[in-house]
Amino acid sequence: MSEFLRVLENEVQIVALSFMAIVYIVRLLWMFHFTASQENTTPVGNSKAGISYSMMNVVMPWTMESTRTHWPFYIQFVIFHLGVILGIAATFIIPYGPGLFEIKSVVILFQIVLTAATVVGIIRLIRRITNPVMRLISTPDDYFSLVLMTLFFASGVFAVPNTYQVSEWPLILFFMMTTFFLIYVPFSKISHYLYYPFTRYFLGKTMGHRGVFPRKTGGEMPAGLQ
Amino acid sequence: MLNLPLDIHEQEKAVEENIPSVKEGRLKTYSPDGENVKKLLSLLKTRLTRQVVGSMVGCVHCGMCTDSCHYALARPDDPTMAPAYKADQIRRIFKKHFDWTGRIVPWWVHADDPKDDEDLNRLKNIVFGTCTGCRRCTFNCPMGVDTATLVRLTRGLLSELGIVPEGVFQVSRDQWETGNQMAVSEQDYIDTIEWMEEESQDELEDPSLRIPIDKEDCDFMYTVNPREIKYDPRSLGAAAKIFHLAGESWTMPKWGWDMTNFGLFSGDDKLGGFVARNLYEAAKRLRAKRIVISECGHGYRSSRWEGYNWGKYKQDIPSESVLITLIRYINEGRIKVDPSKNSLPITFHDSCNIARSGDLTEEPRWLLQRLCTDFREMHPNRADNFCCTGGGGALSMVEYKPLRMEVAKIKADQLAATGAKIVCTICHNCIDGLTDVIKHYQLDMKVVQILELVENALVLPKK
Repeated sequence: MSEFLRVLENEVQIVALSFMAIVYIVRLLWMFHFTASQENTTPVGNSKAGISYSMMNVVMPWTMESTRTHWPFYIQFVIFHLGVILGIAATFIIPYGPGLFEIKSVVILFQIVLTAATVVGIIRLIRRITNPVMRLISTPDDYFSLVLMTLFFASGVFAVPNTYQVSEWPLILFFMMTTFFLIYVPFSKISHYLYYPFTRYFLGKTMGHRGVFPRKTGGEMPAGLQ
Repeated sequence: MLNLPLDIHEQEKAVEENIPSVKEGRLKTYSPDGENVKKLLSLLKTRLTRQVVGSMVGCVHCGMCTDSCHYALARPDDPTMAPAYKADQIRRIFKKHFDWTGRIVPWWVHADDPKDDEDLNRLKNIVFGTCTGCRRCTFNCPMGVDTATLVRLTRGLLSELGIVPEGVFQVSRDQWETGNQMAVSEQDYIDTIEWMEEESQDELEDPSLRIPIDKEDCDFMYTVNPREIKYDPRSLGAAAKIFHLAGESWTMPKWGWDMTNFGLFSGDDKLGGFVARNLYEAAKRLRAKRIVISECGHGYRSSRWEGYNWGKYKQDIPSESVLITLIRYINEGRIKVDPSKNSLPITFHDSCNIARSGDLTEEPRWLLQRLCTDFREMHPNRADNFCCTGGGGALSMVEYKPLRMEVAKIKADQLAATGAKIVCTICHNCIDGLTDVIKHYQLDMKVVQILELVENALVLPKK
């Protein structure tokens, strides 16, 4: 392995990761400096149950009409985010646990998921360009982030075999993209995962307090009889 | 895209008359001094809570909210009806001033400032004219972004600048000036109550029936929608008969009886707090053990939930919807009902403010199963139900009615599919909203409320 690739996989990643962590800490402090609204009413339901329900909605597609009636979109969401998880995992496995990628089935699994995520990325890009609503609401950041993610998945397909003896370019490309990601992500829409706990927590807390979450489906005991 | 000009005729009249709410600065009027954009930005800064900021930064523009909005569904070729687009109109201002990327490279994230009052008027048309704040998009957002809250926040900012539809100004004025949104005078209020008391006595042939006013130490204080006093007091008469038959100890307050709250629609938390506090303080003054809220979607949401927070008033007296009171009566055998007296097929329309922002979905159904013989569920229902199209104060904004009727097709199709002859709802706004839909789409249906069905099904004790 060349010195350039070794530094790129290790020191550069650590510096970029530290940068991202610092920016995220500042971002969280910024979020927390805004005052949270206070609740002055007596509860009907349970805030904690509402928060759990709200947070778990990501794995309960049947609870929202938007995912229940657009299940192909939900499947795309799952594949895309599995790609994210495995892509990020690969950035750690390659430098710190390369033995895992010596197992052929693991490499194939990663390649299948990353390929599927690449395809989903392309589908999403087409949707964003061709659907009038999506075109209207999309910002340059939306397009750029999606293209970037799709390229990251694609580069990951070639990087996970970790065959630097044959050619270092797939790995150089993959880790250069990762470096760029770590620096760019905190300033882009990709950092939505940082905000997800906030939005879902507050929605769940309010709706849980009022007894709206967990959603009622029929057959629950009416309030006057409890 | 709606392009309606700002009409300030009523505002000018209010300034000319020097009415107290304007004079004291509680009700804001439009000033073309060129400072409105600046004022909006400084106001926005003061309104940012952690909840609001989460919804400002959390949207990923996935577009999943689009199919949840009845405006967007009814106008599939108009992308400006998408909830994400509507929320982006305030989000872009937030990004320009509070978001790192938006401040440095605004074009990259579509961050932008309104240029002038023309832009603010355009914003007014979007947040007041193309959204009823039904929260259906919020419930369908995978991220939990509360678009309805952002719309209400924007409405509130514009209300502070007097850049609001005429109807919103008028109703806000009436509620500030008289304590109720239909400017019912105290004398009219008392006369109507006395009239309903006599009517109810005659119908039950029982002169001991009373509608007490300002009676202290009762089991509950009953609060109503001014529409019940001004236009349709039958629901008050029905309630009086039911409470009397149940042997209830109750009263109505002379002041603080309006459980509706236009602050919810105008986004004005100060108005919201003022109206809500009137009600809570009336209950305290009368030493009522409970507050019972008559059938009204936004009234229930405002009085039971939001009002305490707007008014920074720690809840000290329990409050409940009259539905819960009715369930208790039937369950305890304090009143008897015969479902065969309501034999026409009935469906139920869930009010947005109660199903999505309140807590009552099973309660009306429990009652309906005991009040009629042919109950037919509407689909989708409960928290997935579509708005009656009259929510968010839309009924007071006549200029947007053509669009409202156009997008009401979604509700009309939903109603027609039930095959019911009666649609029951627990909201006065929904009554008017649904009546408009039924008339416009020529559906063979009528709208009723639970109290009316209970009254109709009552089995009177033998004398």
